[in-house]
Amino acid sequence: MPGYERAQLSAELEVITSPAAERPPQEQVEAAKEAASGSGLAREAGPETTVLAGGRKEVLRATMGVIEAALDAGAHAVNVKVEAEGDAPRFDTES
Amino acid sequence: MTRAQTAPTAPTRERPRAPVSTPGKVGEHTTRSDGVPKVKGEFEYSSDLRMDGMLWGATLRSPHPHARIWSIDTSGAEAIPGVFAVLTHEDVPGRKVYGMEVPDQPVLAWERIRYQGEAVALVAADHPETARRALEKIAVEYEVLEPLADAEAAMREDAPKLHLSGNILRHVRIRHGYVESARADVVVGGEYEIGMQDQAFLGPESGLAVPDGRGGVDLYVSTQWLHVDQDQVAESLGLAPDQVRLTLSGVGGAFGGREDLSMQIHACMLALETGRPVKMVYNREESFFGHVHRHPARMRYEHGATKDGEIVYVRARLVFDGGAYASSSNAVCLNAATFACGPYDVPNAEIESYMLYTNNPPCGAMRGFGAVQVCFAHETQMDRLAKELGMDPVELRIKNAMRPGIKFPFGQEVPPPAPVKEILERVRVMPMPEEEEVIGRDLRRLPGGVSNVTHGEGVRRGVGYAVGYKNVGFSAGFDDYSTARVILSVEDGEPLLEVYTAAAEVGQGLITLEAQIARTELGVEKVAVLPADTRIGSAGSTSASRQSYVTGAAVKQACEGVRERVFERVREEFGEEPGELSLEAGNVVAGGRTIVPLAELIDEEIEETVEFHHRATEPLDENGQGNAHLQFAFAAHRAVVEVDTELGLVRVVEIATAQDVGKAMNPQALEGQIEGGIAQGLGLALLEEIQIKEGKIQNASFTDYLIPTILDMPSVRMEILELADPEAPYGLKGVGEPPTISSTPAIVAALRDATGQELRRVPVKPEQIVGIAEKPPSGPPQPGGRGYSGIGRLDERRET
Repeated sequence: MPGYERAQLSAELEVITSPAAERPPQEQVEAAKEAASGSGLAREAGPETTVLAGGRKEVLRATMGVIEAALDAGAHAVNVKVEAEGDAPRFDTES
Repeated sequence: MTRAQTAPTAPTRERPRAPVSTPGKVGEHTTRSDGVPKVKGEFEYSSDLRMDGMLWGATLRSPHPHARIWSIDTSGAEAIPGVFAVLTHEDVPGRKVYGMEVPDQPVLAWERIRYQGEAVALVAADHPETARRALEKIAVEYEVLEPLADAEAAMREDAPKLHLSGNILRHVRIRHGYVESARADVVVGGEYEIGMQDQAFLGPESGLAVPDGRGGVDLYVSTQWLHVDQDQVAESLGLAPDQVRLTLSGVGGAFGGREDLSMQIHACMLALETGRPVKMVYNREESFFGHVHRHPARMRYEHGATKDGEIVYVRARLVFDGGAYASSSNAVCLNAATFACGPYDVPNAEIESYMLYTNNPPCGAMRGFGAVQVCFAHETQMDRLAKELGMDPVELRIKNAMRPGIKFPFGQEVPPPAPVKEILERVRVMPMPEEEEVIGRDLRRLPGGVSNVTHGEGVRRGVGYAVGYKNVGFSAGFDDYSTARVILSVEDGEPLLEVYTAAAEVGQGLITLEAQIARTELGVEKVAVLPADTRIGSAGSTSASRQSYVTGAAVKQACEGVRERVFERVREEFGEEPGELSLEAGNVVAGGRTIVPLAELIDEEIEETVEFHHRATEPLDENGQGNAHLQFAFAAHRAVVEVDTELGLVRVVEIATAQDVGKAMNPQALEGQIEGGIAQGLGLALLEEIQIKEGKIQNASFTDYLIPTILDMPSVRMEILELADPEAPYGLKGVGEPPTISSTPAIVAALRDATGQELRRVPVKPEQIVGIAEKPPSGPPQPGGRGYSGIGRLDERRET
């Protein structure tokens, strides 16, 4: 049985590591995952990819946190794809 | 190239012609068109598919339930002659995870293993044996980790986090009335446990993926929901949905176990990589690792009642082991919470339902979907409460039976009909099976049968009752719908109706039902139900006992549309006729007079396509309140058992049942559904459990995982109530799940009656019956030897 309480918003974040950074690539990814983990919204979606899913505001807030953590750890870039879920109340900005 | 240009106009494999039948009308016994071919071995299951030039796909699976992957070396496999492709996570072209509700399961593991049997790599080869040998040459370097194999342990703060957001997948809380201030004269508490049951469908996971030569792929597969498979497969292949076309192939049973993906993405990846058709068929052992199972649960209950036997409150704490990935666990968690109190008038309730991630095999949909687990617990509680009160257990249930107009603990009003009292009264007054003298009886009618373990000494009879209920259709705000197309044409001078949906026939008799509805609505003798595929809109899943209701309604409405088009044509050609127009035996009739045969009227096809959406439902709020469900189906069971009290062996003598079905659409198929559901309930009561030790399955075979056979099945006495649901097509109610829900606790109640043992865990083992242990030993035996204790490369198995 599918999608009971679908998230309003999901953000897929792929960390592009930098071999030249002080911290090794694996640690750059781990830093992003750790930041995502603290949000309570995260799941892994690939070796360098994390998805955040939940209410609009909380996802956007957590997305910023993950990007900052990745960049602070030396990542070269973070690819971000933000999607409003099809059958979620996408314009409800309260949650 | 645009998307439309990439989609071929013809399927890559020839479409089988749909058999034409003359079904009975709604309510008539109708023999299933697939019945005889299945019995004769002529039915083409998905495992029978083949194409010229096809390759065989195979999956490398982790032998460890919890591990870190340090490296994967495929060079050895690639060097084997006859191997065409070896793929890992790096080759997944699109989304690397999938999942029906929560995409959290890797298509192929990249870094972490979360359950034994998790897919790591794929091979396509010219022969299944070549593929198997190639799997052995893939070198995976694992760091084996301690498995988190207990749901309660997974809740602890210091438990290792199996997923980024922790181990609690879902928590549903229901607050109804005021439990704290409720005053009870009698309080009964208990803790109950249910083992992991397998769907045990006989046809293993299988399918054939065929590249279309334009970047897309056709997949012929046995599944429960073509479109949700299509979406997930397309996403992981990085293709548009119309580049991935699915056709339903012969399904050898499902029971929820085919709602999630198994080999779908893997076969398509291999087909697109090699440019050749690729077939994948799991063997029985792999099948146990290839699909989800019923959630094991630990449930703590407390019932308070007045001294007259009126329930005052219920408290329940439910803990479900969801295994490694989410599957449909979110919905199971909700369902269990909403049905935790049983079909009773409970004025105050506090329910906590938790779903946990562990390193056990993933669990998900299975017939009964959360209602099975809680029914065992609440019905055991009702028996214990009756004992405490000195009341008859059926009388206690009748006294507290829910009725239309009251509120469920989750706040929704109980809609009519809700015949809990009536079905209990029916099973109570049904004649009991004759009590045959045990001494000197034919051994085949004694517990243990021809094993010759008793000749009647120590055999006692017991009787038990239970009642249960469950929702029909998808719930909690999901937009649940089905699409149907009906085409009326003339073939060989006779009108022909074709019914086309994407609804999966999984053995329950849906295609026969669709034909019956078409014939009933349009009065045409010749009906063909076309193969289900994704060229038409979604029909939703064949689950939640919903297809007769939702797809049935879509077919009915499409027929009504065709009928109206026919009548418009009649009015255009013949003017207004006195009397109401109708369709009978292939003719348009008015006032008892034939106006025109359909075969003469129709010069070109008349086609109608309908998307039927059922009434909207709502998610639960933070207190677990809301109009969450569409329809409710009820069944009661009485079990009569005979027990060899010295050896703990059981013979179920008879199951009696009363079930409200709204409308018996095809009585023959209905009886089959009820008997089959009872067999599955009996299996859970006495036989069926996937035994797991430290995250590893110990009995992945039908030698060691026991399912009931015809010798275990008792005779079934049934009464069918047809109390119409005013909102449903023909007043019907879903029928597939209720027989499984309360048959289990009825059998266990009968065992208690015979033995006096507590029996708080199912399946009930002989050692519980004879009173050696309430639970099986914590380290279960390892039937089948070491060969089944791991899956993956043969040399690794030998090491474990």
